[in-house]
Amino acid sequence: MMVLAEIAPPTLGLYLGFGALFFGVGLAGVLMRRNVIIILIGVEMMMNAANLNFLAFWHYNPNPSAVMGQMFAIFGITIAGAEAAVGLALVIAVYRHFRGVNVDQMNVLKG
Amino acid sequence: MNYTSLFGYLLGEVVLTAAAFVILIADVMCHRKDDVGARNQRMAWWTLTGLFLAAVVYAIQFAQGNANFADGTLVINPLNLFFKEVILVITAITVFFSMEEPVSKHVGEYYAMILFAAIGMAFLVTSENLLMIFVSIELLSLSLYALVGFQKQILRSAEGAMKYFAFGAVSAAFLLFGLSYIYGATNSLSLPAIAETFKGDPLMARSPVLLIGILFTLVGFGFKIAVVPFHLWAPDAYEGAAAPVAGFVASGSKVASFVALTKFLLLGVAPAAGAATISFPFTPHFTPGWAPVIALMAFISMVWGNLAAITQTNLKRLLAYSSVAHAGYILVALFGAKAWGQTAIYFYIIVYALTNLGAFGVVTALANKVGGDDIRCFAGVWRRAPGLTVLMMIFMLSLAGIPPLAGFFGKFYLFAAGLAADQMQLGYLWLVITAILMSAVSFYYYLQVLRVFYVNPASRGGPISICPCQRWPMTVIALIIFLIGWYPTALLDWIQGFLQRV
Amino acid sequence: MNLLFYIFSGLMLLCAALVVANRHPVTSAMLLILVFFFMAGLFVLLEAFFLAVIQVLVYAGAVMVLFLFVMMLLDIRSSQIRRQNAPAMLAGLSVGFAFWVEFWLILRHSALPVGAPMNFDAGIRPIGKLLFSEFVLPFEITSLLLLAALVGVVLLSQKETR
Repeated sequence: MMVLAEIAPPTLGLYLGFGALFFGVGLAGVLMRRNVIIILIGVEMMMNAANLNFLAFWHYNPNPSAVMGQMFAIFGITIAGAEAAVGLALVIAVYRHFRGVNVDQMNVLKG
Repeated sequence: MNYTSLFGYLLGEVVLTAAAFVILIADVMCHRKDDVGARNQRMAWWTLTGLFLAAVVYAIQFAQGNANFADGTLVINPLNLFFKEVILVITAITVFFSMEEPVSKHVGEYYAMILFAAIGMAFLVTSENLLMIFVSIELLSLSLYALVGFQKQILRSAEGAMKYFAFGAVSAAFLLFGLSYIYGATNSLSLPAIAETFKGDPLMARSPVLLIGILFTLVGFGFKIAVVPFHLWAPDAYEGAAAPVAGFVASGSKVASFVALTKFLLLGVAPAAGAATISFPFTPHFTPGWAPVIALMAFISMVWGNLAAITQTNLKRLLAYSSVAHAGYILVALFGAKAWGQTAIYFYIIVYALTNLGAFGVVTALANKVGGDDIRCFAGVWRRAPGLTVLMMIFMLSLAGIPPLAGFFGKFYLFAAGLAADQMQLGYLWLVITAILMSAVSFYYYLQVLRVFYVNPASRGGPISICPCQRWPMTVIALIIFLIGWYPTALLDWIQGFLQRV
Repeated sequence: MNLLFYIFSGLMLLCAALVVANRHPVTSAMLLILVFFFMAGLFVLLEAFFLAVIQVLVYAGAVMVLFLFVMMLLDIRSSQIRRQNAPAMLAGLSVGFAFWVEFWLILRHSALPVGAPMNFDAGIRPIGKLLFSEFVLPFEITSLLLLAALVGVVLLSQKETR
């Protein structure tokens, strides 16, 4: 019990640090993977990291009754969802041509 | 908080939305059995009616004076209204271009998407609030992804849309992340309020959180305005999209994004500019802020955009790289003194958008009839469509910046604004010199295109007939370019007058 | 309570790394649901209860179902990490690494406008009020955005003969 009590409480810096880490993992996924669906998942994680930032900034705000941070996060979630839907529709459209979802296949346009 | 007055201010956008609904419903309900071509024309006229009505509403609002609703989510002033009108004109011309031949058999959806994109652009130029900027950029982007992928049964279109989307989605995530840091650092969302926080806190301009926020936001904007290194989507999306859509992406979306970017930087976070000057004799002076980032993006865009354009064999790709270069030129003026730089940017973005739209119009009108949009397909088109090639010459020379045309004065003002920065220390001279050198390089490929049009041996085939719905808008654009070229001060005075009434 | 933060965020990062590194898209998607749950846990710790609920409903409930549905539809089994493309791999790893090192350093050394967490109305009342007063305009535009996305999705995913 003593050990548990000594654990430092999370700070704004910690939340932001984890947010940034999470964003970095998402970005690494976008850059490293060939599968378009995984790339989309990476983008979703990046968006989510931004939402975490908004909430952290809001929570540690001098004036939390102005819920602008929460507001922005709501819009962030909504728009990320809409974007995922459009992205997946495009994946289907592309799949009909290439019979696959890997980005290296998509090399018709060049120059 | 008055919903009635808000509705009054929003009437233009409401009209556009209503037009989109009417088109979506009418196409499904009433015209299902009709021939695609006839449906296309009917829907185009519906769209034009909506655009015209909205333009009338905006014109009336000019007389009504300024308004600012809820923390800058909706700012009505002459400048914003003027840009809304510009966007309506660009959209209307795009509609005219797509009238002759339907882009796909889903006619109603096509025009509805164009209207949705136009609404996104209208909100983008009229808001001074980070949340509104994000939401309207997303509305614009999602509509444009769908428009680029509209001919999805054609491989190029599907691939172009996929690439456009992939880059767009990543940069949207960057934008959101950057905005979250700006919100965290300044604790406000509206641009004037953000500018206020600098006054109370001298350290704010150096706050790392704010600077990272700005950097990430610039990644998001960099994608929308297609500057190197965030330009990779542009050539593919332009080549994959139907020609009218490519023109729409290259002009309308550019105008709206540049206006929003200029407002964001000069109205919101101007004190965090920093510096990227090089004074004579070669002593670089860099302070952290957005200026070094913008200067670097402008520099690479001008160099890379122009050099890559030289090697292109496809006319749409060439125009894409030229638009990358032009985005670089425009960024140079961001360093100008506030009022002067803004005027120069607004002047040039209008001239550039119209010229580029005209060039894409020529591609629209000719590509199908000469068998493709590769540059070599247009060989000797002069004999087959003399009027159109004269128009193309005007557009190309204006893009290159040849004196009697509008493009020359646009570039002149941009570079003059870049020079006037920094209290006559000429610290940004390096950027202006690059810009001038690179626009000299750009002569080469613009003239190369004209050479193919005029000099190269003719392809076979009789005279090409151009639909009046394409010929007249293009002629009007060419006339406007000429007129602005003869009386550049007229447009300049307009914009300066609007800026004073903000 | 403090321990919960470290558990949630640690597991979240672990799962996120697995999502990115996993060969099988379906496993990735399943792990992603876990990621979103842990993220919702963090939201609860931040006292944004409504957002936590939305996070689970929208992401785990709707978006992930969509992802899984598309995977099922297209019958995607496994995919490799870009093996033949060493530069991309290196770029990805170094960007990801550089990111968090940089952020960590900067955020630790900069003064943030921090107020002490205090008592405030954490319910959804202020959110609802703001959505229909000050933020009514973005709210309405979002409805348009969803409609545009809907039309776009139907159009793009429809099967068409040439």
